[in-house]
Amino acid sequence: MKWNTTDADMYLKASEYVDTAIIPLIPLNWKKDFKGTVARGEFISLITDEIEKQFKGRVYTIPPFTYLEEESDEVRAERLKQWDDHLFKNGFAHVIYLTSDGDWKRVEEHLPDTLLWIPALPLENVEPSYAKDMVSQQIRQILPMITDKWQSGPKERES
Amino acid sequence: MSEKEHKVSRRQFLTYTLTGVGGFMAAGMLMPMARFALDPALEAGAESDFVRVASLDELTEEPQRFDFVVEQEDGWYSSEVTRVAWIYLANNEVVALSPVCTHLGCTVNWEGSESYPENFFCPCHGGRFERDGTNIQGTPPTRPLDVYEVQVEGDDVYLGGTVQR
Ligand code: FES
Repeated sequence: MKWNTTDADMYLKASEYVDTAIIPLIPLNWKKDFKGTVARGEFISLITDEIEKQFKGRVYTIPPFTYLEEESDEVRAERLKQWDDHLFKNGFAHVIYLTSDGDWKRVEEHLPDTLLWIPALPLENVEPSYAKDMVSQQIRQILPMITDKWQSGPKERES
Repeated sequence: MSEKEHKVSRRQFLTYTLTGVGGFMAAGMLMPMARFALDPALEAGAESDFVRVASLDELTEEPQRFDFVVEQEDGWYSSEVTRVAWIYLANNEVVALSPVCTHLGCTVNWEGSESYPENFFCPCHGGRFERDGTNIQGTPPTRPLDVYEVQVEGDDVYLGGTVQR
């Protein structure tokens, strides 16, 4: 489900079926590699939409968690934990953080749930139909990670 | 679905025009906004042109997945969306099923679960459908998969909009 009122209505009618939240983690940086930062953010939005399409009835895609790249690992991880906590306490047994920013790898083990780090594909100068193929191949690899996660059950949170 | 939305906006439109020029302008602003808010990808029976999706000799009795691109018109705003169909032959008739689970809209796959061969399987809540799209009792979906309108010309298979059963 998407962040719009149509899907919000659908959610309110069927919330017991929707147990997974996806949070795109999108950085901001005007000083260094501005365009690369934009490209990575764009790529993650694309992947998020695609996952939403496949798993519309069980997954809610949350508005992006945004941060300055200069924000320290500890601070951003702490903020993300608060988001996770809020979602977990409100019915989302699974929370998935989706990012192209490799920095998150450094704090992965301190995060309460699952980080999916997907390096951005350089799609900019690729012919659109080929770009689509590349993305759907990526998606085919990501989907099983999510269904496996469902199979193995929610991660415990330390309270 | 689309029918109903149109009725509402037509009524809105009337109300606004009757309230005068200001209302008219408001209607002009609101209607496109209402249109954007709809999720066109989910709409069954949305009006659409026929698109060539497959050739007849590719098809078998086994449902196969075909992806195709349709131009989606929303007033003056048009975009390309990718659609998927599961197509197979039943008594030499072409059948094309929509992959959108009728429970809550996840994408189903033919034989998507090893435990259920000969079924369409929904990964979200285990919804299942027979080969002909009939929903299987005891799983969450309550109606069959939608079907695409099919046209066959020579060796070419064209698909149109989806129809609820
Ligand atoms: S969305 Fe398919 S079973 Fe729930």
